[in-house]
Amino acid sequence: MTEFLGYERDDGSIGIRNFVPIIATAPYANDTVKRAAEIVDDAIPITHPLGRCQTKPDVFQTYRTLLGYATHPNTYGAVVVAHAGEIVDGDELADDIAETGRPSASVNIHDEKGVMNGLKATVNATREMVQDASAQQRQPHDISNLTFGINCATSDTTSGLCQHKATAGAAWRLIDEGGRAVFAETPEFFGGEEGLAERAVNDEVAEKILDYVDHWEQRLQETGYDVRGAQPTPDNMDGGLTTIEEKALGALVKSGDGPIQDLVDYAEKIPDESGMYIMDTPGHGAESVTGIGAGGAHFMIISTGQGHTLSNAIMPTIKITGNPGSAERVPEETDVDVSEALVGDQTIDWATDELWDEIMEVVNGKQTLSEVFGESQFAIHRIGPST
Amino acid sequence: MAEQYVKVVEPDDNVATFIRQVDEGETVDISINGEARTITINDDIPFGHKVALTDIDEGGTVYKYGLSIGYASEDIEAGDWVHVHNVDSNYGRGDKAAEGTA
Repeated sequence: MTEFLGYERDDGSIGIRNFVPIIATAPYANDTVKRAAEIVDDAIPITHPLGRCQTKPDVFQTYRTLLGYATHPNTYGAVVVAHAGEIVDGDELADDIAETGRPSASVNIHDEKGVMNGLKATVNATREMVQDASAQQRQPHDISNLTFGINCATSDTTSGLCQHKATAGAAWRLIDEGGRAVFAETPEFFGGEEGLAERAVNDEVAEKILDYVDHWEQRLQETGYDVRGAQPTPDNMDGGLTTIEEKALGALVKSGDGPIQDLVDYAEKIPDESGMYIMDTPGHGAESVTGIGAGGAHFMIISTGQGHTLSNAIMPTIKITGNPGSAERVPEETDVDVSEALVGDQTIDWATDELWDEIMEVVNGKQTLSEVFGESQFAIHRIGPST
Repeated sequence: MAEQYVKVVEPDDNVATFIRQVDEGETVDISINGEARTITINDDIPFGHKVALTDIDEGGTVYKYGLSIGYASEDIEAGDWVHVHNVDSNYGRGDKAAEGTA
């Protein structure tokens, strides 16, 4: 049994951080959210261009993503800021947050009679929550409480040969300890979907995997264009990846080869049962990581070839590379360098241990490079058009 | 003895990945299933890129990880650099769907 020091929540989840996000329901609240987060230094601004003039499936997905961040294990409580009457309703969101036992507050800029009063109300609600959060102490908990997020970024041909293997090794180690792991990026299953379906725990899950891959292939065909350039990306191709299939077969290495429990929709909560899960997301890193964050993964391993700034505000990201040039070229984007396992005398087991040790430090509070530099992206995947 | 900078994932793959820059004219020793082979390199191949281990005819499948990563868009000879100039994908071809050829 391995323990870590985390923050208890009323809903039974355990956080590795104690964040207070300020969440915009629509773009017209973004500036108020950003300004409030500048004044209340420790608050996390969550801003985006969505939440208005969207069709029902998109509204649902936007709402589910925002709620996922507001009720994430790493979230102490959240302040919701709306501009006026929006299709993503601020009061409803605040009520849903409160249902998990977390402190929540709702500010409506029009109800406050404008942005200055709205800013004041937002700052006051956030200040109080940040102070209360800072008073909470970490307590020992079993690591079976943790969910391990997996994503790749600027993959190259080193990814599937080295760092993805270490990532899979660490993910399955957590699963063996009773935890969960989740990987995503459905278009990056192309060419490997049969093998993935064979790993499903039952026929229903196997069929779901194949159906979702088919659905993405159809979506891409409907564009009328060759996907190359979008997938693989120009930097993938510079790194030696020739086709989406090659990228996919390499990408799947990061999931290991054990059983797959289920496939969940974008931003859907990862189930409690221990095991490996898939979340349906695009290959677009910011969108897939945002979705996995909403699903409640505690931390995210970004397994990268060329290095990447890809990161998240609520879910600390640990970047691992096996490309010997990347750690030298972009040290700010390399938390763990395991290139010795690719070009030197070290083994994949050594690389897995290196990553695991870093994860254990991070879940106990060590800041990742992205956290130190204050880097994060937030991008909700869209289904249909604005209206 | 196979060089450490040559990575062949599965024995039936027809491409290998180089973990260093390899120059035209170099000869590379590769071991596949215990069988030693020497391949002369026909192009400058950058770090992380692939070389053909066998001849692959136009339309033939390119194998890595023991699975298809696409098809040869022109004849490829053993020792050639294998990349976007001579391999096409079987997926995400909306251009072909639009032409009604997918």
